[in-house]
Amino acid sequence: MRECLSIHIGQAGIQIGDACWELYCLEHGIQPNGVVLDSQPDQLENAKMEHTNASFDTFFCETRAGKHVPRALFVDLEPTVIDGIRTGQHRSLFHPEQLLSGKEDAANNYARGRYSVGSKVIDLVLERTRKLAEQCGGLQGFLIFRSFGGGTGSGFTSLLMERLTGEYSRKTKLEFSVYPAPRISTAVVEPYNCVLTTHSTTEHTDCTFIVDNEAIYDICQRKLGVERPSYASINRLMVQAVSSITASLRFEGPLNVDLIEFQTNLVPYPRIHFPMTAFAPIVSADKAYREQFSVSDITTACFESSNQLVKCDPRLGKYMACCLLYRGDVVPKEVNAAIAAMKSRHSVQFVDWCPTGFKVGINNRPPTVMPGGDLAKVHRAVCMLSNTTAIVEAWARLDHKFDLMYAKRAFLHWYLREGMEEAEFLEAREDLAALERDYEEVGQSF
Amino acid sequence: MSDTLTPDVIGRRVEVNGEHATVRFAGVVPPVAGPWLGVEWDNPERGKHDGSHEGTVYFKCRHPTGGSFIRPNKVNFGTDFLTAIKNRYVLEDGPEEDRKEQIVTLGNKPVETVGFDSLMKQQSENKLKFPSGSALTGTFSALKVLVLNQTGITWAEVLWCAAWCPGLEELYLESNNIVISERPTDVLQTVKLLDLSSNQLIDENQLYLIAHLPRLEQLILSDVGISSIHFPDAGIGCKTSMFPSLQYLVVNDNQISQWSFFNELDKLPSLRALSCLRNPLTKEDKEANMTRQLIIASIGQLKTLNKCEILPKERRTAELDYRKAFGNEWKQAGGHQDPDKNRLSEEFLRAHPRYQFLCLKYGAPEDWELKTQQPFMLKNQLLTLKIKYPDQLDQKVLEKQLPGSMTIQKVKGWLSRLLKVPVSDLLLSYESPKEPGIEIKLENDLQSLRFYSVENEDCLLVRW
Repeated sequence: MRECLSIHIGQAGIQIGDACWELYCLEHGIQPNGVVLDSQPDQLENAKMEHTNASFDTFFCETRAGKHVPRALFVDLEPTVIDGIRTGQHRSLFHPEQLLSGKEDAANNYARGRYSVGSKVIDLVLERTRKLAEQCGGLQGFLIFRSFGGGTGSGFTSLLMERLTGEYSRKTKLEFSVYPAPRISTAVVEPYNCVLTTHSTTEHTDCTFIVDNEAIYDICQRKLGVERPSYASINRLMVQAVSSITASLRFEGPLNVDLIEFQTNLVPYPRIHFPMTAFAPIVSADKAYREQFSVSDITTACFESSNQLVKCDPRLGKYMACCLLYRGDVVPKEVNAAIAAMKSRHSVQFVDWCPTGFKVGINNRPPTVMPGGDLAKVHRAVCMLSNTTAIVEAWARLDHKFDLMYAKRAFLHWYLREGMEEAEFLEAREDLAALERDYEEVGQSF
Repeated sequence: MSDTLTPDVIGRRVEVNGEHATVRFAGVVPPVAGPWLGVEWDNPERGKHDGSHEGTVYFKCRHPTGGSFIRPNKVNFGTDFLTAIKNRYVLEDGPEEDRKEQIVTLGNKPVETVGFDSLMKQQSENKLKFPSGSALTGTFSALKVLVLNQTGITWAEVLWCAAWCPGLEELYLESNNIVISERPTDVLQTVKLLDLSSNQLIDENQLYLIAHLPRLEQLILSDVGISSIHFPDAGIGCKTSMFPSLQYLVVNDNQISQWSFFNELDKLPSLRALSCLRNPLTKEDKEANMTRQLIIASIGQLKTLNKCEILPKERRTAELDYRKAFGNEWKQAGGHQDPDKNRLSEEFLRAHPRYQFLCLKYGAPEDWELKTQQPFMLKNQLLTLKIKYPDQLDQKVLEKQLPGSMTIQKVKGWLSRLLKVPVSDLLLSYESPKEPGIEIKLENDLQSLRFYSVENEDCLLVRW
């Protein structure tokens, strides 16, 4: 019951997925070939854990041979990245049918991802999704991993989301999206792709957790002492946050938080569904045990901009809702004290119409650390998801860049050539302008 | 905790408003009435004096401003280990998981250890005090991780502690002002990770005392003020027998300012990863890339630098650049492409111990590689030419700089303005000092000087 299906789209989604399933396997004690480790005397952590089948069930499907297969689908319009998985460390973990690749890619073009190239692959993807969904007893929802700026991540995802809403209308769909960093660009046409995909996906998603690369680069450089962070370091950090969000579904805890509970508590209006993610403590492995990270320390750290996974200043906005997911050695008494302390601070401003504002989840499993990674093992951690009006800054930046390019109709012919019309661009831009106005309205006092 | 004036209190660690200190004296300090505690702060500038008041010495401090007298009620003795655990877990909700408990009596303080294989002792809020001379009634044979940060512990006490933990694998001793005073002989032999950060009194000579721990794989020496290291038992280009298993060394936030540091690190036989941020040598932002390359080239077996993997391509580029950058020095120090004629000076070998190896790997640097590039400025592209008028003896020889791309037509135009001779009458040719007597005619007006291979120091001959 309560199964979750993960769909990883495009290069970003697939690379994050690789790190994500690696971490899940470590947390559940599953080896790279899908078999659970027997509890040996030195694997006492695993023995300690309540090994009921229910904990695997949400993310892994057990075959008759005793292998655990992830409930995931990896989709890309070109084969290179997926071949990396097919030949990588986890090749025997996934069933070949879960790794889908096309032949020509979307070339950073939303129109290709959605209309021309994407439409050829969509039916196959939906069929595989249906197959995976049938294996589930009670499918809770979908977790979609993708980037906003790429062609497949933007175009194909919007197509897929529309079709998923058509087929599975009552299921939750949560997204983990990589938002284009303010000062670091990987593609010139990112703004176009982002605006177009946000416009078409907003009504089909229930909640989108955004992260951006620049924020994570800074964290890696300043806190973890990594001189030049590679995508591997960045993804490893991001999946710690993802793991915290899904921990309640996989492990027991005194205060569990379901997927639907996120939505209910974080999303005040259907369109205002872009929470900001923060994670604490982020400590370099060299500096393990230096400081005592008490519950109040890590809670305070979450509200600092240096621990956020998105570049935006929450002090410029107001909080609408806040979800704190603790894991590890945490007792409710300390959590209450920490939250009371935060509420009394001036820098944390809530909107007038939301008096209580905090949702808490506690899970007993401390975060697992990947061997050879940069993070230190800590005994307790917290992942904060906050819906703040300050995130409108991110949209404003994006819209501004879009306007600059669109005013000159630069790079537009690549989209028009694939069958798109200028009207769609205008419509999308209008939609985002309306989104900005919605945020402003929500943040106003009575 | 109100046992303020018992002798028990001396040596205990206390905390006042976030600053840690050790109690050195308890008693009365005339003329002010009432009990006082004399404390020595961890931070040597926090105090007011060195333990003496109005002439009488009550206790001694390391620094003239290291001590203060404080009222006992202003001081926080912290909670001991047992109470801390009880407050945390036992009070309301009860422990959430089953725990294996192992009670060991230590001196006259019962200590409850909680956990499975690896256990972390809460530090710093605890003032660990060692009753001297008490018999041990048990050992922590399963203890693998011991954290004693900021406890004011000394090296002798560490070794004493370590005797109870024969299987100890990780030992954290940050901020204790430790001075390594003796070589650990039977203890600490299984230790894989040692963290000695922020112990400002450590210097490189003390490192020799821990150099023979057989299993030590990770050594963290951040912020200890170290500036150099030397392995005297190994000559240039050889491996040392010290630190035989050391794979990962962290030396961030130190005073390293000499490249010879990295040359010495090359002598470590197992070193695979190094973190060396925020040192004077590596601080300049402009040269960050070059610094990284130089470090990679200096330490041959390094696989990870500052937590970034060194890919084979990066290593190759770094080593080739190193070889080229110091090529001129190598030549001057006696280097030669022919290995028989190679006689390098001691000094060069000491400064660049890997250079010979790099020459073997990539070949000795060729002369054309070592030519310094002139910056691409216009003045470096000009040809210096002499202008002679062979048919007119009284005209002086002119020297002029002309660009090689100038066409013959333009040269003639300029000459005609200079000599007041019409362009059509001029006949140009040139000769080169490399081949005297041979004159080459510059016939085609539309071609440039460079087309005719006119070079620096050549001589233009003008006739009309």
